[in-house]
Amino acid sequence: MRVGLPRALLFHKYHTLWTTFLEECGFTTVVSPPTNRRILERGVALAVDESCLPMKVLLGHIDALAGRCDAVFVPRQEAFERGEHLCVKFMGAYDIVRNTLPDLTLVTYDVNAEHGIDERRSMIAMARALGVRAGVARRAFDRATAAQHAHEVELARLQQSVAEAPRTGDVRILVVGHSYNLADELIGAPILSYLRTLGAEVVTSDEVDKALARRHGAAMSPTMKWRYNKELLGSIELYRDLVDGIVFVVTFPCGPDSLMAELCARRIEGIPMTTLVLDELAGEAGVRTRLESFVDILRERGRRGHLREVGS
Amino acid sequence: MSERLVTFPHMGEYWIAFETLVRELGATPLVPPRMTKHTLELGARHSPEFVCVPFKYNLGNFIESLEAGATVIGQAGGGCRFGYYAEVQEAILKDLGYEFELVNLTSSWSVGEFIADFKRIAPGASTLRIARAFAIAYRKAKALEAIEDRVRKSVGFEVERGAHDRVVSRFHQRLRDASGFRDTARLEETTLGELGAIPLDKPEQPLRVGVVGELYVLMEPFANHNLERRLAEHGIEVHRFVTLTSLIEHGIRSRPHVRKLLGDADPWVKYHLGADGTESVAMTWKLMQDGFDGMAHLKPFGCMPEVSAMSVLQRISREHTFPILFVSYDAQTAETGIRTRIEAFADMLAMRARGRTSA
Repeated sequence: MRVGLPRALLFHKYHTLWTTFLEECGFTTVVSPPTNRRILERGVALAVDESCLPMKVLLGHIDALAGRCDAVFVPRQEAFERGEHLCVKFMGAYDIVRNTLPDLTLVTYDVNAEHGIDERRSMIAMARALGVRAGVARRAFDRATAAQHAHEVELARLQQSVAEAPRTGDVRILVVGHSYNLADELIGAPILSYLRTLGAEVVTSDEVDKALARRHGAAMSPTMKWRYNKELLGSIELYRDLVDGIVFVVTFPCGPDSLMAELCARRIEGIPMTTLVLDELAGEAGVRTRLESFVDILRERGRRGHLREVGS
Repeated sequence: MSERLVTFPHMGEYWIAFETLVRELGATPLVPPRMTKHTLELGARHSPEFVCVPFKYNLGNFIESLEAGATVIGQAGGGCRFGYYAEVQEAILKDLGYEFELVNLTSSWSVGEFIADFKRIAPGASTLRIARAFAIAYRKAKALEAIEDRVRKSVGFEVERGAHDRVVSRFHQRLRDASGFRDTARLEETTLGELGAIPLDKPEQPLRVGVVGELYVLMEPFANHNLERRLAEHGIEVHRFVTLTSLIEHGIRSRPHVRKLLGDADPWVKYHLGADGTESVAMTWKLMQDGFDGMAHLKPFGCMPEVSAMSVLQRISREHTFPILFVSYDAQTAETGIRTRIEAFADMLAMRARGRTSA
């Protein structure tokens, strides 16, 4: 059986866990290609108009998998820990897809710590329902979580290396955004690569020890309830003394991000910040101009700071 | 210490219940000035650009109340962005230079924390006093809801225009002054009697439309541009099921409630969509099966739980030819646009109904 994985939403965080698990269970995995214009256009056509950009991207990827696999994998996540939330689109993704493309065969598993539904039991149950033997599914889960853990340790190590390494450019920028936006070929990738073209050194909010970031995020904003926004806030705390500026990448009309960016603008002082709001119509030229002027401002500040140091 | 003047956001006529709550707690209430376009402009000016519109209305209320001298703000929250409103609004208002204390009632549904929150509104209030204050306010909210429910169903058929409104405005005045449970219950009963005596010109089988969606724009007529009333004026019996007290009751018993909703929403959704999304699906399916002529689905622009529900609602509407009017509200929503769409929707329902009876 071929299982299709849409390259969207949490795939960018959990691809190691998911592909390892499915393959260890004996399935063939098919991943949709990196987002391109066609995928986005299909997603925009399929989605409810007011859906957020990442949801449109998801639907485009699912459409791209139709006919290329026997079932499409669309997990459903509500909470990984008690008292913590995810954006509701992760709760609704499975049912949104099911009602938008009713003829597609889907496979899913549910994670909801509030109700004691944990990832291990859910993923194993999903595999069992597809005819995988219990022992095989359990072993697959253990291997998949080990692989995922190694991947996350690597991200945390990147954080450490940024802290210790000498700078490679005259400005260093932290780009804050959800992994599904920053890692997307059409949304975040052009921003990261253009910043590098401008000679800036780029670190992303994804390159952190996630648990540590969540603790810092919770301290910065006591009622922040979204897990991934806590990670983003925490990344700012972990990197703020190591970078010259912060770029927020927000997709329209993301609720959690709109409030988080507002709070950051009001609570974080002493470091230049800018917010890029992207939608399916965002022209590359406008974004580039914004990035150019932001990098110019950072360079200017850097020169002045340098002069002050020399003068003192 | 200066006097504690406690304010809260507006939502429909619930200010009467909120005012009673604060007063019964032993603090001084400050009812925010009536909503105007200026309230929204004020709120929108200081809000993040694409945050959902209830945030902007709430913030506008707070600014107007602080200008009027409020020193304490009570804010609630919900299972979506609403749960994060309070902290961001507090930061915005502090940056604007206001001095106040914000009591965030979102923390949890646990009774202990609820009581602790109320003690922050009125320091020194005993637990017994808090329980009594809450119960009286709750009873007043129930009375409001009973009256509004009746009005929605009959105002479209009144023979003399304005007859319902006259009774209702007197009711609001008296409800404000009602001193306790018995007073409130008696007032509710007399008012229902007065409403029942209003002459109606109502057909045997009137058009029936359900109103479903996000709680704030559902319950704040100023924000939904009086959608319920405008529908009613086209000779429609309007039904709404989401009320403040229903939300509180479901919040307290959230797990069994969600389980029931998932049963009602079967086969359309398998999992809870978050906030009121599942409720919207369950209600749509129920209204359709109950033979309603149509439905209006209301939400703030970009409201994710309701956008999720819409993917299901659009499918139900398509596969069962069930008319649904989808309306999204933001700070720029124009009154005329809403009015025209309601007119067209009502005409279409009337036409369908005529087609049915002549067939």
